[in-house]
Amino acid sequence: MPKLNRFTIEIETGETGTELPVHFTINNHKMPLDDPQGGVGPAETFSGGFEIGSFVHSLTLVGPESGQWDVRKLKVNYDCEHTPPYSVTFDAITLDETTEVNIWQDPPLPTWDV
Amino acid sequence: MSVLKKLSQMFSGSGAKEQEAGEAVSGAKSQASQGSFAEEPPVRRRVIQASVIMAEAEESGPSDKILIKAEPSRDYEQCKFMVNRPLFEGHSWLFSSFEEAAGSPIAESVFSVESVATLLIHESTAVVTKTGAKGVADWETLAREVGGALRKTLESGTDLISKDIVAKIPAEEVVKEEIQKVIDTEVNPGVAGHGGNITLTAISGNTVTILMGGGCQGCSAADLTLKQGIHGAFRKAVPYVGAIYDETDHAGGLNPYYR
Repeated sequence: MPKLNRFTIEIETGETGTELPVHFTINNHKMPLDDPQGGVGPAETFSGGFEIGSFVHSLTLVGPESGQWDVRKLKVNYDCEHTPPYSVTFDAITLDETTEVNIWQDPPLPTWDV
Repeated sequence: MSVLKKLSQMFSGSGAKEQEAGEAVSGAKSQASQGSFAEEPPVRRRVIQASVIMAEAEESGPSDKILIKAEPSRDYEQCKFMVNRPLFEGHSWLFSSFEEAAGSPIAESVFSVESVATLLIHESTAVVTKTGAKGVADWETLAREVGGALRKTLESGTDLISKDIVAKIPAEEVVKEEIQKVIDTEVNPGVAGHGGNITLTAISGNTVTILMGGGCQGCSAADLTLKQGIHGAFRKAVPYVGAIYDETDHAGGLNPYYR
């Protein structure tokens, strides 16, 4: 498992929004995102990030305290040690007070022609 | 600011932040003045998965040339070779030793490469394991040699897999029935002690896909159970079984491996 130096996240909200702050969990520890920009209301776009500097077992985006949150699209940019930066875009998902969504994807495997 | 610094600040800082860092679910409400035994346990959030929108795949298109890509696994135990030609259409086969390769030209050529331990052929992929690989560098030379061996056999135009092996593989229904029997009589009684269960989700030719549920889903020892327990039981009882895949999402649900 790689050491994650930093990640940033861009969230497009669909028809049902929620309220700030946006929380994530790293290895099951719940934290608010740093450098929040924009909003999480209907059709709004939000961005934030966090300097992790640790090995990742899990990384999730936490659902709202109450009600639902329609996420139209999620883009996560990862900066891991010994790996070129990479991004992953996740499709639409609905979160609520009982759910969190996995936002961790391992770096792409190296491939080459033989 | 690093996680450690932030957590340290939270625990040494205000009570509100301390609570925030420690609570598993922010929606949990404490019952004040009822004593610690009366507090509601925090509700565990269920981890769900969003589909990954794939980046545009590299379009190689049909080609007269034999194209082979090598991709080592994350633990470097094996390397997958993706070929733009069918190797064993509709079926899969595990060659677990040099001796078993006899009569199958593709396996004979791959096992002629030093330090190849096993070879799994499935549709248009070949998965090779070697012992002691610790990094990508350990695969660079070997992958080129295996790629060369695969290409040479394909260019020869010969049958790739022994006719004896092809004849051994029964109808899909038979494979399904026998694998289900092993699950019901051996595997599930074994994992039930840990609250686990195994479900057969798909059979394609002699390729088996399973789902690990109950205590097995999210268990950190699931890989060990799969490779040393389930694979062994399947292959012993149903020797013509090919590839065995686990489609369990061990990072999702209420009990993922990291909790």
